Order: sequence, then C-alpha cells, then structure tokens
Amino acid sequence: MHPRNRLAAWIGWWVGIQTWTLAPAAAPTAASPSFSREVLPVLSEFCYPCHGPDEKARKAGLRLDTADSAFLKAESGKAAILPGKSHESELIRRIETQDPDDVMPPPRLKKSLSLEQINTLRQWIDAGAVWGKHWAFEPPIRTSAHRIQDSGWARNELDRLVLQSLESSHLKPAPEAARQILIRRVTLDLTGLPPTPTEVDSFVNDTRPEAYERLVDRLLGSRHYGERMAWDWLEVARYADSNGYQGDSDRTMWPWRDWVVSAFNNNLPFDQFTLWQLAGDLLPNANQEQTIATGFCRNHMINGEGGRIAEENRIDYVMDMTETVGTAWLGLTLTCARCHDHKYDPISQRDYFGLFAAFNQTPVTGADGNPQAAPNLELPSETQSTERTLLQSLHKEASQRLEMAEIQKFPRADNQPIKTSEKFQELPKEIQEHLAIAPDQRDSGRLDKLAAHWKNSDAVYTGLLADLKGIRDRQSRLNSAIPKAMIMQDRKEQRETFMLVRGLYNKTSEKVDYRLPAVFSHPTHSAQQNRLGLAQWLVSPANPLTARVVVNRFWSQFFGIGLVKTPEDFGAQGEKPSHPELLDWLASEFIESGWDVKHLCRLIATSATYRQSSAGDPSLYERDPQNRLLARGPRFRMPSWMIRDQALAASGLLVDKTGGAPVKSYQPSGVWEEATFGNKRYTQDHGDNLYRRSVYTFWRRIVGPTVFFDATPRQVCNVKPPRTNTPLHALTTLNDITYVEASRALATLILQQARTPAERVDLAYRRLLCRVPTSKERRVFLNAILRYTRRFEQDPTAADSLLEAGESRRDRTVPSAELAAYTVVCSTLFNLDETLTKE
Amino acid sequence: MDPRLERHLHLTRREFFSRSATGLGTAALATLLGRESRGHAAGSQPPVPGGRIPGLPSLPHMAPKAKRVIYLFQNGAPTHVELFDFKPRLLAEHGKPVPDSYIGGKRFSTMTGKADGKLLLGPIEPFRQHGKSGAWVSSLMPYTAAVSDELCFVKSMHTDAVNHAPAISLLLSGAQIPGRATLGSWLSYGLGCETDSLPAFVVMTSVSKGTTCGQIFYDFYWSAGFLPSRYQGVKFRASGEPVLYVNSPTGLDRAVRREMLDDLAQLNAIKQREFADPEIATRVAQYEMAFRMQASVPELADISNEPQHILDLYGPQVREPGTYAYHCLMARRLIERGVRFVQLMHAGWDQHRSITTELYTQCKDTDQPSAALVMDLKQRGLLDDTLVVWGGEFGRTPFIQGDLNDRPHWGRDHHPYAFTVWLAGGGIKPGISYGETDDLAMNVVSQPVHVHDLQATLLHQLGIDHERLTFRFQGRDFRLTDIHGELVKGILS
Repeated sequence: MHPRNRLAAWIGWWVGIQTWTLAPAAAPTAASPSFSREVLPVLSEFCYPCHGPDEKARKAGLRLDTADSAFLKAESGKAAILPGKSHESELIRRIETQDPDDVMPPPRLKKSLSLEQINTLRQWIDAGAVWGKHWAFEPPIRTSAHRIQDSGWARNELDRLVLQSLESSHLKPAPEAARQILIRRVTLDLTGLPPTPTEVDSFVNDTRPEAYERLVDRLLGSRHYGERMAWDWLEVARYADSNGYQGDSDRTMWPWRDWVVSAFNNNLPFDQFTLWQLAGDLLPNANQEQTIATGFCRNHMINGEGGRIAEENRIDYVMDMTETVGTAWLGLTLTCARCHDHKYDPISQRDYFGLFAAFNQTPVTGADGNPQAAPNLELPSETQSTERTLLQSLHKEASQRLEMAEIQKFPRADNQPIKTSEKFQELPKEIQEHLAIAPDQRDSGRLDKLAAHWKNSDAVYTGLLADLKGIRDRQSRLNSAIPKAMIMQDRKEQRETFMLVRGLYNKTSEKVDYRLPAVFSHPTHSAQQNRLGLAQWLVSPANPLTARVVVNRFWSQFFGIGLVKTPEDFGAQGEKPSHPELLDWLASEFIESGWDVKHLCRLIATSATYRQSSAGDPSLYERDPQNRLLARGPRFRMPSWMIRDQALAASGLLVDKTGGAPVKSYQPSGVWEEATFGNKRYTQDHGDNLYRRSVYTFWRRIVGPTVFFDATPRQVCNVKPPRTNTPLHALTTLNDITYVEASRALATLILQQARTPAERVDLAYRRLLCRVPTSKERRVFLNAILRYTRRFEQDPTAADSLLEAGESRRDRTVPSAELAAYTVVCSTLFNLDETLTKE
Repeated sequence: MDPRLERHLHLTRREFFSRSATGLGTAALATLLGRESRGHAAGSQPPVPGGRIPGLPSLPHMAPKAKRVIYLFQNGAPTHVELFDFKPRLLAEHGKPVPDSYIGGKRFSTMTGKADGKLLLGPIEPFRQHGKSGAWVSSLMPYTAAVSDELCFVKSMHTDAVNHAPAISLLLSGAQIPGRATLGSWLSYGLGCETDSLPAFVVMTSVSKGTTCGQIFYDFYWSAGFLPSRYQGVKFRASGEPVLYVNSPTGLDRAVRREMLDDLAQLNAIKQREFADPEIATRVAQYEMAFRMQASVPELADISNEPQHILDLYGPQVREPGTYAYHCLMARRLIERGVRFVQLMHAGWDQHRSITTELYTQCKDTDQPSAALVMDLKQRGLLDDTLVVWGGEFGRTPFIQGDLNDRPHWGRDHHPYAFTVWLAGGGIKPGISYGETDDLAMNVVSQPVHVHDLQATLLHQLGIDHERLTFRFQGRDFRLTDIHGELVKGILS
C-alpha cells in the first residue's frame, strides 16, 4: 500500500468514516501492568516514531505519548485508547487486524508486536489505562526491602534489596569469595593495581571482625584510588592529548587530568565535581582549581581542516558540550534532538537549543585549529614563574643598554625619535624599519636582521643585539614550555542563540533563550539562566536523573554492567533497570550522603553482594550469563589499561609517580606515521616514562595507543567502554614489548627472590593472582620450565634475542637459557584467563 | 613440528573443547564458538565448527549473488570529468563561464565559495570508446579501458557532503558524523566469516608517492561503531608487521608458542571446571585463532609463489609492500582465503592545484592494478561471486580551481552533485553505463544514485535487505542506509 493511502486510512478512521467491527472482548484483569516499565516501552518502540513527541513526523495528527491525546474521541466516537475497554480501543484493533492496509505498525516498517506485548497493552487498557511518566523522569524513591526471609546474609540495605529480588527468582546468594580472591578483586577495583603479597598476607591473617572494612578504607585512602577512578571519567570526558581531525595538533589538557585524579583522591563531592567542571569559572571568586576544572567542557575535538567554516566548527563544539552533558549527567540521547524533536523522549528541538544556549557564550570562534584555542589558563611551575620574572628584568636591562648604545650610534636631539638621526636616514629601508621599533619591542627576527647588517663593522653593538635576542629566545622557549589548559569563560555580551534547521549551522530559525527542557521545568527553579544555573539544576533534588545515571556508572565499574544496561540511555528506549528499587535506593543514598563518592564505593565494596564468590555452577552461568540477577560475584575481563598496570606492578617495573605531562611508552613503529602520512612522528620516551601508569599515557586522538584494546575512541563522550574477546587482544598480551619485558622482569624477580623452581612459580602466582597454584597448576609450570630450559640451552641465540625485549636492564648473572625459560613461563602466566580477569 | 606431537596436542585441545561443550550446554556453547562477549549479547547464534565468527541466523534474506566484496576506495575524490564522464560540450566551452542555470544556489567548499562566473575546464586528455560496450574512458586509464566490457559505470552518483571526512563517513557508514558501523563491519556482523584464521574485514591503505594531499585515514572509516568491536576492520599495515602484534617476539618460535598455548588451554580448563564461566572457553578459542593468524598472515603476505605472469599483470609496483598494486594482489589473496570484505583505500585524488601533474601519477599507480584485479578474479572464476567496487567520496567540479593561464596548477574543487563509480562481478551487469549527468557533467539528470542507494544495492547483492539488517543502539534501530536507500535494479544482471 502506498504510504499516502495508509495515511488516508488512518484519517478515515479518525474522522469516523470507517465502520467498526467488534473485536473479541478481552478478559478483564485486576492487576495492571506498570505503565512506565511495561506499557511505555511498547508504545515507544512501535508507535512513537509516527505518533510520538516529534511533531513533524507525526502521522494522521494522532499522538500516543500523552493521555489526553490518546484518550481523545474522534468524531466517530472512538478513541485510540478507551480506558477500561480494550476491545473498543482502536489502538488494539489496528494492531490486531489482518488487513494489510489497516494494520499497525505498517508492514513497510517490518516491525510487529509479540502476542505478549499486545496482551500487556490490552490488560493495561482494561485495568483503566492509568497513565504515568517514564520511570526515569519520576524522582527516585527510597524504599526498603520488606519481603526478605534470609536476613542473616545481608550486610546493608543494598544487600537486602538484592536479596529480595534473588528470593523472588528462587535463588540464593553465592558464598563469600575466598580472602585472596576478595583482596585482589577489591584492590583492582579501587586502585587499578594488584595487591602485593605482603598486603595479601596481612589481610588473610587479619582475624579482626572488621578486617575487610579496614582494607576497603585503606584502599579508598590510597592515592592510586584517584588514578583508577579517573580513567572512566576521562573516557566520559573524551579526554585526549591532541585535537583530533586532520592535523591533530597536540594540546596540553593534562593539568585538567591531574585535577580529576586529585578531585577523586580528595573525595570532592560529586555535586561540586559537577559545578566546578561545568561552571567553575562562574562561581563567586573562582579559584585556580575551579577554573582548571572547566577544562572538562573544552576536551572536545578541534577541527583544523582547511576549507572549514569557522562558525560550523564553533557550532560543532557547542553541540558536543551540550550532548556530553546529556549523556554524562542525564543519560539522555540529546543528539537526536539536534535536528528534530526526539522520537521517543519528551525532548524537543527547542529544548535542545535551550540547553545549547548555556554553552554558546564562550569567546571561542572556531576559526583555527589552534590546539590551545583561547581562553586558556597558564599554569607555570614555581621554577617557571621564577624564571619568568628573572627574564623580564633581564630583558628590561638588555633593552635599556641597547637603547643607550643606539642613542650614541644614531645621534639626534634629546628625546627625539631615532628617525630624526641623519645616520639613520643613510640606512637601507629595511634596516630603518627594524630600527624604528623600540628595542624592548623588537622581536628576535628584527634583532637578527640588525645584527647581520653590522656583523662586520660594529662588534660591540652586535654583541648587545645578540644579548637581547638571547633573552628573547629564552622567553619564548619558556612561554611555550608553560602548560596552558583550555578553560571556560563567557563573553560579556550574550551571544544570541537560534534553533538550527536540521542542525545545520547556517540554517537558523527561531531565537531561543537558555532554559531547561520543558519536561524538567520546575516552578521553583529560579537559578541563574546560564551554565551555572544548569549545573546547579543537574545536582538539585528537582532532577530525577543525575544521581541514578551516576550511581549506575559507578556500579558498573564494580560489576561490569550497570543496573541499567544502557548507561548512555535512560530514556524510553533504554533498558529498564534490573533492580529498580536498588537503583533508586543507591541514588537517594548518594544524594543524602552529600554526593559522597567514597561513601558510595564503600557501600558497594563492603556489601555482601559484591563479596560473593564468582564461581557459579554451570546452570547459573547458563541462566544468567551477564549476572544481572547478582546471584554471584562479578567476574569479567579487566580493561586493557588495568591489565597493563597489573603487569607493570607485578613485575616490579612500575614507576609510581603521580601526574605531569603525558608519556610515550612502547608502540610498534610507524603507527602514527601511517595514519598521518608522516606528519606525526612517534618519539618513544625512555627510562621511567616507559613504566608509568596507563592513565598518564599520551593519547593521540586519531590513533590511540595501540597497547590498549577495547578503549573508547575519545572522540565524543562515551559512557560504555566495549568489552569484547578477539584474537587481536590475545596477540597484544602475547607479543607487545610491554608484556614481553614484564615477563622477563617478573622472571628475573622470582629467580632472585626464590630458590627452587616451585617456590618461584608460587611467588609469580602470588604477585599476580594473590594465591599459590594448585599442585596440578604448579606441575604444568614446572614441566614447562624444564622443557623451555632445555630448548633454549640448545638455541642460545634465541634465548638472547628473547631477553633483549624492552629497555630495562637485564640481569646478566642469570644464565640466558634459564632466564628465557622463566620469561616464557611468566608470559604464559600473564595470558591466563584468571590473570586477565577480575574474579 | 613432529606430527605425533601435533596429533597429541590436537587431541588435548579437542578433549578440552568437547568437555567444555558437554559440560556447559547450549548457551555456553554459542559463546564458546565465538559470538558475543558477555555484556554485549545480541541474540544467540548457531554454533559453527572451528571457532570462526558465524553470521546472523536470519541471513541471508534472499539468495546472494556475491559472497564477498573488494572496495577499491579512491580517497580524495577522483575527477569524473577527466576519467569517465565524457562531455564534448565541456571541451568546446573550455574557458567560458559556467552558465548560472547549472549552479544556482549550490553550496561548494569554502575554497570555491560561490561558483558564479567560474570558468569551465575541459578534460585535459582525450576520451575514446572501448570494447563491445563502447564505454567512454579517458586515455589516462588505458588498462581500465581495456577491461571496460567487464565493468558497470554508474555515472549518476551523488552525495550530501562537501568535505572529505564527512563524505567518506557517509559512504562507508551511512552518516556524515563518525561513530556508526561501516559497511565491512555490517557484513561481518550479518554474514560472519568464512575463515577461522583471518579476520572477516580487512583494511589496507596506501598513497601515491609525491602526492601533496593531506588527507588522513581515520580509523572510523573502518569502525564497528555501535556493533561489538570484533566486527571492526583489521588494518593490514604497510610497514612492519602486517597486523599489529602478529609476530611473536624474536627468539620465541612457533613450537614454543604452541606449547604455551597448550599450557594455557590446560590451565584455563582447570579454571573453567571451577568457575563454569563460558567466557573462559571463548578466550581459549580466541587464543587459538590468534595462533592460526600468526601463521596465516605471513603466508598471506608471502607472494613468492605467485607466477611471473600474474605479477606482471598487476604492474611493476606489485612487489613493493604498501603500494596500491601490492594491495590489489593482497585483496585477491585475502578473498581467496575466505575474507568477507576488503577495503582498500588509496589517497591522493584531491587535485585542487594538480590536475595536470599529480593526476597522471595517480592514474599510473592505480589504473593497471585495478584492471588486473578484475581480470585475475575473472580467470579464477572468482569474479562471479566477488563484487568489486571502484570509486571515491564525491566528484570534482567541471569548472576550474586556479588560474586558466597557469596550466601547471590547474585544479578542480570538491563536487558532491555528480560522480562516477564502477562495479564489476557479483551479479552486476557488465559492460553498461548507468545514469547520466547534464552536458557539463555538473548535475545528475537521469537515474540518480545516492550513496545510500549504492549501499542498499551492495547489501542486496550479498543477500541482505538493507531495511532488515538493523542493530539496536541508544534506543534506536540503526541500519547502514539510515532511513533511506533504494535498490538500483537497473544494474543487476
């Protein structure tokens, strides 16, 4: 059927021309399916693309996203939904009809409802069609578990809520994990590093009742906690050390990265964390930290491609800032509303540009690909500040000396400009031009030209010129060495904001002012009409989303998957929470604790839920492969950065230094060059920089560090790092120098610190897996050591070349064959599933 | 390796897999056989022996005409005006201003700005008709001209984007903004892989020597976007290891690596008995595939067994890794080994000031190998079910960029309103020309083919209905053709 005919058919029904056939009556049911959790997702998926919030896409004038319009009677006397009477509701008839011209959704869309979904709609209508809001737009409600039987297991309210759902699924929680497993799990989760054997021993032997809680508190107090928590936030914040796009110039946003690490370490409450990053510059008497924090907004890509229109770039940047807030705080897919009203969620294009207006006020022009597009904050170190002052006074003195010399060299009346000197007028035009500029204003180039002119005739004068130039050069070297971080700032004069037709920068339509999306507007919301007002609203009690969205992400750091599986989408098309009451409880608790992130982490990490063993019977893994029911502890492959940090720490290579400019560790040659046609050459660092924690690795946006697999691309805000399992990952941990060198380092360490092969294998296990191997496992390794040693004894060249991997010093006191054999064994250990996995 | 040892190891592995499989049941088995990693489930897949990536059970939607694709992507936008779209009037009116009626209100890049009054530039080399089909091809492309009876020229291509990166992204992923799944990843997601020792989707990039172009090969050109990252294109590199980290460290030979993996399999099996996590078995399978890749990739790259007459077919640069010619030969070797989609990208077509200079080098580097690939596939009987596509992201302006009196710096700007691609094999009608532009090669006047239409048609040839291959992301069902795309029936044989 032609779409136009279909439209006519709808309208035909709507104006009551069509005859009505009675559908079989549905049996009335007492309990209604929940509107927000069961009904709305069906309406959203199947009806809203044409009968939802998007006015322009709406067909036949029918909308099913508000009760009023869905209940509205047409002239025929029929309504799409007649509460209490599904068999008289046109909605049901049109879904069930066999007539291809009438059936909804139209066959063209190749989508149809399941019987179960139709029944849900039917039951809901029969029970009165009680309308509600999408769950995530209602404020979280703090409830407590009241139906649990086994109350002995739970350690906090979180556990009681988990247990309640376990019991309703007829499941029992798993027993607590062994202490060795527990300390490895929680140490990796809270610091991103494995515990040392001493730490393991002292925890395992700590018989005090609160031993585990003490451990968690120690880890939360560790400075490594901030480094671990920062990683996920850097992915959210699309942090990189270069601009992206063609050119991909380097930038220095790392002071912002260091601020993030320290903010987590100092446990800056999340509401402040929000205010500072989105609007720190607008706080009264903003201090340096609050200003650096606003770099969050500026972490977007910057386009330096020739032929690009500046305003188009600028609009891209503002859109990016807007959408980042949408994803990171609201869990809403605002991008959809760039070009049209959102198809599923109540966010109009007008709403989008209302938020956009808040970020549309900076002096950024989009005009060039400058990696440090103003506004910037200079962050000189103490030495740099001192040097700067010193150079200023040196510059002044040298300029004065030069000026005196020029007064003598080019005589003229007192206080007259140099131009009036007769000597001056004899000079070539170009030289006159340079000389006419006062000495303290002359740049290096001019000084050079002048020196060249008098090179062979006036040694004293050229000497003075050279002095001044030397100082000038030092100043410019210093200026480029001083880190500059991009920050936010609003123009004095407000920039007007216009809606953009289809999101195109040059197709402006209506003028809009900053405002919250209509669905969130609150009569009592009287905050400032700018970024600060927006940030304040994000963390105000009036906002139903932020706390849920944020706790969901923290939760997934521990459990590998959120309570809402779509952290990027809390809208109608997102996944429903697996534990709605738990999510709400956590969100409420988070707010009531004063947005205390460490408190939240502590709650999760000390819960009985988290402490469960992840060893489950096959039927449980089969029934619940993603562990959504929480009947066992979390078990999943660690992020690649954590795998690297673990390898560095366990092998003793880690250089544990906090902060500073990013470092360039090992990378196969030619990766940057190939991606940039040789414009960017990778110059690998040496020494300590090879062994810094992953969070300090230089991140080129167009081609990220190759050692990290499954990392987010750092181009736009990303709240869901992928976790896949491919042969390329195996090749990385088997063959990358980082891991080969770590294998040799660990081999060296165990050879030095333990006497027998068995003790050595045990030590390696303890450093990496926090346990000793079973006798069977040990036997596998002991056999391997014998086999490999024999092999390398026969092929000493192979042994030596294997041992050459990496730049750390090789222990020459150990025979090559033996060290090579242990190196292979350690590499095997680094590639064990258990090593790659947090279990 | 000692064949007896090999057999023993094989048994060890087989024993492990069979034990895992029987012990875990079907859900685990699907995971074991290499589909979804936990946390990203997208429907269960039927197991396929050997651990290779299976396709979706619902595919194909119809009988496929092609099993695989080689996309010869000409990055930077080749000039349709010089190469394939011959317009005598353009030659006759060389140097005259563009008639207003051809350009009214159109947007060009900021380098051109308004096109009003720009001077027409005739093709710089003569055209001639070739073959039985009488295809018009420029003398810049003699080898392509010679195989024109095998090709289907689509001269009515048009696109929405006027800059390179957005236009390439649109062509390969269906959207100008980076981040969606690209053609190759859709195909490996939908159809799976026919080999268990190479990836399903391989990318190779090259650039002509001495070109002044500055385009970058962004990795979003072969991104899996919202699809699981295993479907992302694997880049075969021009220098160093063909695949990152594919070589074992020096001093660690294949026998040692085999022993390591056997130890790993054994140790992981112990873990699996204790933890029952099917992800462990998946990991073992992936390590095994990594091991196979360590052998298959060097074997693939070793062209010493190619006979001389085949090497000659591809031209003098074929022996030089990283060149377009070398990559064309590799493309054939890859698809022979079961790779689903080869995306070969060659940059250097962006001739803003160098039509009279760099265009020659560019054609010289690419003409012979492209034609050789078609003929080589044909003589092996592979052209029937392999679809070859040649083309860029848009065309170039029929009017000049630069000064008419400065011939050495003649150029043409970006032109989204018309361009030419050619297709060969895979159920596409050979020896035809489809669609037409006006008499200045400026605008499409008949049978327009938008990039979404091209995508719909490519998918169709592989047995996929472009409206039904979808993936749910951020609450929306995404597809390659977004909400557009019409099958171009006129080019199907």
